[in-house]
Amino acid sequence: MGALGKPIILMVAMYVFLKFILPNIPGSAPLPSSLIFLYLLLTAAGIVIFETLSGESKDAFWGPMERFLTGENLGGLQALRYGVLVLFPLLVGWQTYGSTASSDAPPAESRTIHPAPPGEYTGLSNPVPKTPENIMQGKGFYAAFCSPCHGGNFDGKGPAARGYNPPPANFADPTTIAMLQESYLFWRIKKGGVGLPIEGAPWKSAMPRWELELPDEWIWKIIMGEYDGAHQSPRTWE
Amino acid sequence: MKRVNHVMKRVLRGALAAIAALIIAEASLSFAQESVAVKATIVTGGLPVDDPNAAIWSSAMPATFPMSPQVHWPNRIQEVTVKDVSVRALHDGNQVAFLLEYSDPSEDQDDAAAFEFMVGDKKAHFAHGQPMLQVEGGPVNIWFWKHKEGKAVDMTAKGFGTLKPQTHQDVKAKGVYSNGSWKIVFSRSLTTDHPEEDVQITPGEFISIAFAVWDGRKDAVGELVEKGSQKAVSSWWYFRADAPPDYSGYMYAAIAAALALGFQFVLIRKLKKGQ
Repeated sequence: MGALGKPIILMVAMYVFLKFILPNIPGSAPLPSSLIFLYLLLTAAGIVIFETLSGESKDAFWGPMERFLTGENLGGLQALRYGVLVLFPLLVGWQTYGSTASSDAPPAESRTIHPAPPGEYTGLSNPVPKTPENIMQGKGFYAAFCSPCHGGNFDGKGPAARGYNPPPANFADPTTIAMLQESYLFWRIKKGGVGLPIEGAPWKSAMPRWELELPDEWIWKIIMGEYDGAHQSPRTWE
Repeated sequence: MKRVNHVMKRVLRGALAAIAALIIAEASLSFAQESVAVKATIVTGGLPVDDPNAAIWSSAMPATFPMSPQVHWPNRIQEVTVKDVSVRALHDGNQVAFLLEYSDPSEDQDDAAAFEFMVGDKKAHFAHGQPMLQVEGGPVNIWFWKHKEGKAVDMTAKGFGTLKPQTHQDVKAKGVYSNGSWKIVFSRSLTTDHPEEDVQITPGEFISIAFAVWDGRKDAVGELVEKGSQKAVSSWWYFRADAPPDYSGYMYAAIAAALALGFQFVLIRKLKKGQ
């Protein structure tokens, strides 16, 4: 098994590196399984080419495999050989079933939570002065209009939230309003769920189109109240 | 030889156990997804369209969906009676029947419930297919049942204020109240002659579905608390009528396994001969 040992160790090491070590390197991300498979395939091809360069290395490489498959002088490994011979066809059958059987799962939905706003809603600054009175007024409007879904604690868990899918945004979560500009919130509150582009799945959103009910000034005050209440700050370009 | 047989048996047993474990894992995964979709199970010998208590309903898997007070559009409501609905469905290849169940402490003449479906290929907003600003939407088909009317109304909407009964009424409904809960059966043929206003149900295909419930209770001065847009609503979920069983996957798997086995056999024979 000597000539086979190294390639096997190399393949395992490659897999461990791609699967467990690479994603943990700063600035990296987990690899999709198809990419890992492709890399392993390339590694295997490289090994086969390397091992079959000379007649000698070729025999040393294929020899153990041949002996394993024919079962000659295997001794204790005989059980493993039968295991491989039984499992291989089963695995092929299983894979084939998995790739041909019709799926029972509903259509996959990829919804962009924060799609790009229309041009006229980028870079607007809040025209309402940030005074304690205005913030307090904003919180009052928030309590009246927004808290039924987004929650009195700004956590998206208001009493009306449970039936809505997608769920109302949790403003205390650092991935919501903390990474958005006030201008973006102004757009989302004004146009509501129906104002989303197609990648935002507007047909599912229960967010009201508040421009039909609230003046712009109230919306700007609500934005102030939201950031203050959720202990977040708007994203800026500085 | 005996020893080899013994080893073979152990290997086989191990492989079977591993496959069983995989199948069980898959089954429990699909069970966990149930609350995303209602599935109509295929039955033969007629659907219980008039009987919410028929034993055959137990052959359909119930799916539970959370409900919210309707706060998307005025007039809003901040609190509603019904917090969840449970839905089952059956079909026989010609007709589909849904069983909607929910608890409601009192039986009132104005108790009502509705199903909503997207119609056609265009997405429709769950609030009566109201217009979207950046996406062209389609209509919705609404099946509305009210206790005091004792029947279903087949309706169409494309935006607020456009809801109206269709000229062709294709839906039946029957509700039974007992022990603090409503059981309502809605039924219709899978397809109709009016695809532009009625949802068309093709077995195997997922369709968007939503629910609404009105508790017909009255407040201290005799006014209805839940009426019109003041109701319990759900978001869009999925409905699918099961397709007839398809065993071709097993056949392909068997062929592939047999080919792999044959390949092994030929390879080993060649190797043995070569030596």
